[in-house]
Amino acid sequence: MSLIKDLYDAILVGDVKKAHSATQSGIDAGLGPMDLIQQSMVPAMDEVGRLFEAEEYFVPELLLAGRAMKSAMELLRPLMIASGQKLGTRIVIGTVKGDLHDIGKNIVASMLEGSGFEVIDLGADVAPEKFVSAVKESDPRVVCMSALLTVTMPAMRTTIRALESAGLRHRVKVLIGGAPVTSQYAAEIGADGYSENASGAVKLVKEVCSAA
Amino acid sequence: MRLKAIICEVLTREIEILIPHSPHKVDVEILTMGLHDLGVSMRPNVQERIDAADDSGYDAIVLGYALCGRGCEGLHAGKTQLVMPRAHDCIGLLMGSRHRFLEYFENHPGVYYRSPGWIEFQKPGQRLEQAALSKRNTIGERRSLDELIAQYGEDNGRFLYEQFTSYRRKYSGLTYISTGVAEEERLVCQARAEAEQEGWAFEEIRGSLDVLRRMLNGQWNSDEFLIVPPGARVRATLGDGIFEAI
Repeated sequence: MSLIKDLYDAILVGDVKKAHSATQSGIDAGLGPMDLIQQSMVPAMDEVGRLFEAEEYFVPELLLAGRAMKSAMELLRPLMIASGQKLGTRIVIGTVKGDLHDIGKNIVASMLEGSGFEVIDLGADVAPEKFVSAVKESDPRVVCMSALLTVTMPAMRTTIRALESAGLRHRVKVLIGGAPVTSQYAAEIGADGYSENASGAVKLVKEVCSAA
Repeated sequence: MRLKAIICEVLTREIEILIPHSPHKVDVEILTMGLHDLGVSMRPNVQERIDAADDSGYDAIVLGYALCGRGCEGLHAGKTQLVMPRAHDCIGLLMGSRHRFLEYFENHPGVYYRSPGWIEFQKPGQRLEQAALSKRNTIGERRSLDELIAQYGEDNGRFLYEQFTSYRRKYSGLTYISTGVAEEERLVCQARAEAEQEGWAFEEIRGSLDVLRRMLNGQWNSDEFLIVPPGARVRATLGDGIFEAI
């Protein structure tokens, strides 16, 4: 159906206006939110990820696709909530305490949302207590933490300890990323995984969620 | 002792103050600042200079660097001991203590740091590009608004510019670390002007040359310095000592 393709194309090229209008047209034509998400949005974001891996798309293209996808979700989310539809597996994401860098985290959040997850983005400079509260209140499946400075990386360890102290660690998978972060560091602090970049992060979240 | 000092350009004026007072023969090599933009790809640039000095019979190669975003992780020398001051980055070095830096950092979130070298030597718009063109993990956040609009159109170009500069809008202060270099008042004024332009609060704090002085004087206590024996390499621990030699 051409509306499905219109939304797919709009997200792929990062055309926010076309994504919005194609979504509205789809809704007007009687397509359900899940049709649009599963048939347009998820394949589009999968293709964006593939193009990134193939080094045809770079960070700007990811950001633009994410923005187009979000404009579609702005129309779909209220419909899904109104009809009681589940928004997808819940993920909490944030940049750790003391760290204000958020571009990478924003890209991961937007690609996860485009892949059908429900993303609660806590922003940057997120204290361990705030991660703990978010897990208590929202009951996510996965917590994703980002750090861009070696000086703030230890906050990842502190946050995991805080989840342990609150008796919540076993309820979530904790994944970490950011330029100075490594898989060895993830293992050392007891995280469940690490990804080097945004498309890898999405794959990893899908893996840990399906291995439930 | 005969020492080789491989120093980041950002520490140039501080090193110039200290070298004449060192009791040792120090051969200084200054590398362009901004290598940390390359992330871990910075390492070969510094390693190449270490390798060039390794066969020259120096008693030690002292490095005017810190962990630098892991850019200095993995550094090694086959024949000469390496000496590295324990710090996450140059800000910790210029504050004279990594503990002082940590305390200041934790109590002053959202602060941009400047020092004499940051004012004098940072070239606006300079982008160090990786030799191997894998752009997957680069953000490209140094591009100007005009460049982004030219490539992506007005709407998308503006959006990308907002995304790339959003972290700067989260900063609320600029702290200038004074180190007693010549004509510092002019540098303080420039730092203050930058803060005003960004709408940030401005603070000047007194730095310390103590760690750098001890480095050039051969006073390498294990609390402040990592000594990497020949054949060993730097590994980040991110604990109190920042790194270790393995």
